[in-house]
Formats: sequence, structure tokens, C-alpha cells
Amino acid sequence: MAPRRLELGLLILGTLITALAYGLLNIDDTVNARADVAVFFGVILLLLLGAHLVIRFVAPNADGLLLPLAALLNGLGYVVIARLDPGLADSQAAWTFIGIGAFSAVLLLLPDLRWVADYRYTLALLGVVMLLLPLIPGLGRTINGARIWLRAGPFSIQPGEFAKIVLAAFLAGYLTDKRELLTISNRRLGPLNVPDFKHFGPMLLALGVALMVMVLQRDLGSSLLFFTLFLVMFYVATGRAAYVAAGLVLFSVASFTSWQLFSHVQRRVDIWLNPFADPKDKGFQIVEAWFALADGGVTGTGLGAGLPTKVPYAETDMIFAAIGEELGLLGATAVLAAFMFLVASGFRVAASANVPFEKLLATGLTALLGFQAFIIIGGVLRVLPLTGVTLPYVSYGGSSLISNYVILALLVRISDSSARSEAAAAAATAQPVPV
Amino acid sequence: MNDSLRHVMVVLLGCFTLLFVQLNRVQILEAESLKDNPANTRTVQREFNRPRGDIVTSDGVVVATSVETPGQRFGRQRTYPEGPLYAHTVGYLSFNLGADGAEKVFNTELTGSTAAQQLADFTSLLDPDPDGGSITLTLDDQLQKVARDALGERPGSVVAIDPRTGAVRALWSYPSFDPNLLATNDGAAANASYQELLGADGNPLRAKAYKDREFPGSTFKLITAAAALESGAATLDEPVFEATSSYTPPLTTNPITNFSGGPCGGNLTTILARSCNTPFAELAAETLGPLVMVNQAEAAGFNTEIPFDLPGAAVSNYPTDYGKRIQAPNAERPAGLYENTPKLAQTAIGQNDVQASPLMMALVAAGVANDGVIVKPHVLAEVRDATGKVVRSNEGEEWRMSMRTENARILQQAMIEAADRGNTATVDGLRIGVKTGTAQLGTDPPRSHAWIVGFGGRADGEPELVVSVLVEGQEGSVDQTGGAVAGPIARALFTEWFGRG
Repeated sequence: MAPRRLELGLLILGTLITALAYGLLNIDDTVNARADVAVFFGVILLLLLGAHLVIRFVAPNADGLLLPLAALLNGLGYVVIARLDPGLADSQAAWTFIGIGAFSAVLLLLPDLRWVADYRYTLALLGVVMLLLPLIPGLGRTINGARIWLRAGPFSIQPGEFAKIVLAAFLAGYLTDKRELLTISNRRLGPLNVPDFKHFGPMLLALGVALMVMVLQRDLGSSLLFFTLFLVMFYVATGRAAYVAAGLVLFSVASFTSWQLFSHVQRRVDIWLNPFADPKDKGFQIVEAWFALADGGVTGTGLGAGLPTKVPYAETDMIFAAIGEELGLLGATAVLAAFMFLVASGFRVAASANVPFEKLLATGLTALLGFQAFIIIGGVLRVLPLTGVTLPYVSYGGSSLISNYVILALLVRISDSSARSEAAAAAATAQPVPV
Repeated sequence: MNDSLRHVMVVLLGCFTLLFVQLNRVQILEAESLKDNPANTRTVQREFNRPRGDIVTSDGVVVATSVETPGQRFGRQRTYPEGPLYAHTVGYLSFNLGADGAEKVFNTELTGSTAAQQLADFTSLLDPDPDGGSITLTLDDQLQKVARDALGERPGSVVAIDPRTGAVRALWSYPSFDPNLLATNDGAAANASYQELLGADGNPLRAKAYKDREFPGSTFKLITAAAALESGAATLDEPVFEATSSYTPPLTTNPITNFSGGPCGGNLTTILARSCNTPFAELAAETLGPLVMVNQAEAAGFNTEIPFDLPGAAVSNYPTDYGKRIQAPNAERPAGLYENTPKLAQTAIGQNDVQASPLMMALVAAGVANDGVIVKPHVLAEVRDATGKVVRSNEGEEWRMSMRTENARILQQAMIEAADRGNTATVDGLRIGVKTGTAQLGTDPPRSHAWIVGFGGRADGEPELVVSVLVEGQEGSVDQTGGAVAGPIARALFTEWFGRG
């Protein structure tokens, strides 16, 4: 099926699912969703149709799954947020509008991404500055122990959410440039052949600064995400597993050291390993999240019929527990599946990209989406220690929603660009230009 | 690059598969044990969010109801419009503190979950979350208020029962507490109030009317008199007990005297009406003996759990151990002689280890008033389903036979004489019989419990209301008698009950 018709059909289907879920809130009298379901359906559909039309005009050959999957996750997230705290629903709706707006704007303003690679060092500087901003006294603010927020009038912005895109772009540009050199091992380090250190320099610096900022700001989730981004892009660029192995050793040493040095890290690990030792205090959040999931069972309690507000931060970090409680194993699995499809689509975009910079950028952006979802869901399910990152498109929060829509727009842009050059190449082979 | 890209994708999809496996563990494999975890308060909280019916008095006053509290910790909160007035009957329902009273024992009725309530409406059979039911109490709001006002701010208890059905019409203890303080959704405030009440003077949380036991004093002579009648040791007229001012039981030198200090005697109805100590003590110690006394006390419900429908009713105590028999019965002392015969003499007038709750003494009087039959006391009158239809009503059932009808009638007559003699509880035009008691607690300062138990009926009719009043620890002794202190409270109850059209 043509990607645009697929996209349109899936957008309508996803909006229908979202609107039906929203309607369920109205049935149960414990939650009073305010808007009329038909109006809700109409507004969302119009919003998504707008984005669909933008794609039709400026990226007509792009992948047709990306926008519908993000929109479905966003819609479900909105319904759950409206159910958890009707007071947050309006601002989440506003962030959704702005997010879709940012998506369209990126597509309209950036018809070509290749020039971005030329500004890779500027991007590195920009990314580091964005990460450092919250540390400036008077400008930054600390919320829930992490100093990752910027004051902006009545709002708080998380510049780190945008810095991750900038850093992915820098890494893509830098690795495009240096990957040939990085695959040539002309130095020996003990038993290993390694490339010349000077090629690593700028990248290790950027990564080091990023990780240091994360430790200073106590944002372990983002730290883990950046590290993973670095490893994935390095591996895809060079194809050398030895780098990954070295990276993992480095990561283990760093983890162990910070566990020994920082009490807040020890606390996280203790809670992860044995939350039930202190279910009323330290382990409270994770224990309540598990009780919520247990209540949900296979089919869930039904939207509006559970007790998801018992879990602290249910609208942000813990939103997956709220979904698992009220929509059950089935609903939670649907969310997992949506992320798997999203990740698969993202990697398909990367695989079909024939410009190295675009390929690496698509890889990085997809890894950001996929691993961020894994880190937070894994935290809720105790596969990993719980670190506070948002669930992309689902959690409450403007910075996260907007930055993830920007990521989506970049993937759509790359997808269209590769499909177009492929078509051009196919046309070139099919009809040789007469001499 | 596409090979390594594929590897990354496989790893990431593997990560998601891991999440899926773990999700199944939490939501299915471990779900039951998570639900049973002691830290899991979700089941209780769901209970709190369910609809719950009203508790209403027999005259239609709502004493417990649920209000919706959107946006709070729970969707509903229990409120008690009458505050402390029904606290000891209705109890409370509190997330932090659990439930007590009718809220506790009639939980299934109030949530509409009994089979009768669900059967009444077939659609609700399929509903795991029924719409609640309601219950009607036997208590009468007007009478309850009279009980409260008449007792005033004196520690004590008032119980009023219909002797024919066992329906409790008033049940009041002072001090009481406001259950709204404990039922609030604000858990910290509820805990603080509870701690404060625990330490408060007079233990307001305790429903003394049926949970506390005190010396019954002379009201217990109803049992001793019944024992004499039932055993045949005495009849209406015979014997005429010699008027004595002191009786010293065998094996002791401590004499028992009369309340007035002077001589006291006469036939059974007279010594009961005058509340003589010496003839009753001598009668029990010399003539009746331990077996007869224990049998009669237990026939009236002592030493047994009272089948009351509120939780925690005290078991009233009558001592059963009087030591070895050291002399067989003979003509002079038909009771025989026991190591502890002096104790037996004291129990006969409601002292020593005799302990009775105000509810127990109401039932003793009810046995007399209802011609010997004690009906099970209860506060639950009717259970209704969500639509208001009555699905069960409590007509009362016989608990025990405390004495033969003719003996009960003799005691009724004696109590009427006592009421006329004291003249503090009588009401013109009503047939009222009472037995007072004044249990002295100490001499420094002198304090006493003032008791009255009695029945009231219309001039030529059967007794319709039994009352039991205890005013605790009044300072003074001679002037703080049951008749003087508790009598007017009984009178106020009879006046209210029979004064209606």
C-alpha cells in the first residue's frame, strides 16, 4: 500500500482507539472527562490530518508508520493523564498541539539534512551548553533531586531533552567523517590494536562532559541514555564489537565507582534489588507500581476503575504502571508492541538511508526512542534500577513531547530523502539517459 | 553499516522481549502474592470506594451515611450526622483505624452484599459491585436523646430495651466521642484524634453500656430473690424474714449490715422493696447455698456471652467457686457450709466478685418483666436492599428462661412496691417497677455507683420498656443512692416512651 494511504488509515484508526478510550472515562462516574467524545475525536483527527498533509506535501515518500504509532502512544498517554489528574490534561493537550506543530515546522523548514553534518562541532558545543545551562545559579531549578530544569516564566524546560537530539546529530556528523579512520587500527594497546587516539579525542570529550553533567545533575537515566547512544552509534559506524566490549567495561567501572561514591546511587540500587524491604518508604513507589500491575492482571481494571493515583509520579515516570493497571497485560503489551514497531520502523529508515550521515542520525534517533522507553519501563518492572526518564510520547511533559516529535520529524525527513534518491536511482537504471 | 544496525535492532527488540516476559511475571505469575502482600492496601481502599448504605433509627433519623468526596484519597467518606449520640452503637468506619460497632458487624448488609439483598434484584447478582444496602436500627432517636440529656455530663450508661422483643430502644454511655473525627479521609487527622481519644478522661471510645462491668449492688437481689422463689425456699408471703440490723456469716467476724444501719425484714416482696441486706445475705448463705445461687445467676445470663448483635459485649460475672464443703446440709443450715460461705453472703447482695454490665442488668429486669423469658437483645431492626425494600427483619428470638412465670410475676409485684416506696422513677398512670442499687466503691472520698433497673407499662398492660441506668462513681454515699440519682433518669425515659400519643 502506498505509504500515505496507509498513514491516513492508521491515523484514523488510532484516533478512533484514543477517542473510545476517552469515552470510557465518561462512563465511569469516578472520573469526569470534560470534553464531548465526538468533539475530542474531531479535534485530534484534524490535528493529525494537518500533520499528514504536511508530510504529503514536503515528504511524500516517507515511511507511513512513524506518525500513526507516535500519535497512538500520545493519544493513549493523554487519556491516562486526563484520568490520573484532570488538571494536567489541558497542559498536556497544549503540549501535544505544540509538539505536532514542531513536527510540521521541522519538516517544512528542513527539506534537506545533509548540511547539518558540516556544523558538527558547533552542535557539540551547543549540546554541551544546553546540558550545562541548568547548573547556572538562578537559571536552573532542581525538581525531585535532579537539577535538569530551566526556569522559563510559568514553565520549566528540560534542555537535556533537546540536547540529546543535538548530540546525536553531532555524533552522526563526526562519525561520518571519522569512521574510516576509526576502523583502521594502527596502534597497539596491550594485546589490542586500536586506532589513533587523536580520532577519539573530541568524541570522548563530548561524552565525558555529558556524563559528568549527568552525575552532577543526578540524572542517572539520561546519563545511561547518552552512554547507550554513544555505544550504538559508534558500533554502527565502525562495525567493531571490540569498541562495544571496551565501552561496556568502561561502563561497568564507572557504575561500580559511582555506586561506591554516591549514596543516592546506592539507594537506587538497594531499592531495585529489594523494594519490599521497605514498602512504606524507600520502596514505596516501585512497590505501589507492582501492586497496581498485579491489580490489572490480564484485562485490567478498566479505565477509570482502578486506583492508579496511589503510585507516586503515575503521570510521568510511572505511567506504564497506570496503563498496566487499568488496561491490563493486554494494554501494556500493546504499548510495548507500539514501541517495537516504532523502533523497527526507525531502524528500517536507517537501513534504507544511503547517505551515511542520515543513516547514522536515524540510527541514533531511533536508539534514543527505543532505549529511553526501555530504561523507564525496565525501571518500573525492575529489569533495571529505576531512573527518572519519561516514556516517549506517553508521559506527561512538554519538553519530552516536543523533543520526541522533533525526533519523529527528522526520521520522517530521512525516510523521505532515502526513498526519493532510491526512486531517482531506479528511474536512472530503468531509463538510461540517451547520449 | 547495515549489519551492525541489524545487531543493534536485535538487541533492542530483545530488550523489549525481556520487558514483556517480566510484565507477565508481575501481572500474572506474582499477581496473587502481590495482592496478599501485607503492605498492599488496595483491597481495603476499594472497599472504601464502594457505595455504602445509610444507618437509620427506627423513627427515621439518619445516623450514618456516605458522602462523595471527589478528588480525595477515597471516593467516599462516612459521616455521622448525630455525632457522639450513636457512636457506641454505630461505631465508625475508618481507613486507618478499621471499623467498629454496627459499621463493622453489618458491613455486608451495608455494602448490599448479602444473598438476600442480591436475590431481591436479579440484575445485581451479576454485579460484583452492588449499590449498597441500608439498615434500620431498633433505637429510637427521641428516647436516645432523653437518655443523653437525663444522664448529662455524669459518667454512666443508660440502656432501654423492649422486654418482649429484645429490641434495644436506647443505648447511651457518657462520655462518648464524635465518630466523624475517625472517619475523615485525612488519615493523619484520624490517627491524631484516635490517639487523643485513647488518652481522654473516661475512655470515651468505650461503649460502657455493654462492654464494661461494675458491681451491681442491690440490683442483684433480683437474682437472689428469684433463686429463693425458684428453689421453693420462699413464696409470696412465706417466710417472713426476721428484721435484723446485722448478720455475721459463719467462719468470719465481719458483719453485714443494712444500708440504713437499722433493722430490716419482712416477706420476700418487702425485703426486696426495702432492699434489706441482712435477710438476703443470710438467705443465700444459710438456706440457698452456692449451687442454687450459681444456677439462678447463670439462668439469668451471668457467666455466658450475651448474644448481642454489637461486638464485644462483656460477659458478666457471678463467682462459682466457694471452696470445699465442710459441713453437709442439715435442718439448721439447709445450704450446708463451705470454706467461702462468707463470700456467698456478699455475692447475694451484689458485692464481692459479682460484676455486671448495664446491658446484663437490663436483661435481668427484662426476664422479670417478660414473665421469665429473656429475649436476645439486638439493635438491628431491618435490612434493606438498594431500592429500599426490606429483605430481612429482626423480630427477636428467645434467649433463655430465667424463672417460672408465676415467680416472675411475684418479682414484678415486688418491684412495683419498690418503685412506689422510692417514688423517684414512677410516673402517674403507668405501671412501673424498679430495683435500685448503690454500690459503695470506697470511703476516701466516699463514692458510689448509683443503679436502677426497672420496667414500665401502661396501667393494666404488660411491661413494654425495661431500663437499666448506671451513674458511676458519684461522690458521697448515703445521699447518692440509686433511687435518688438514677431514678429520675428512668422516670424521664418512661415519661418520654409512654407520653406519646
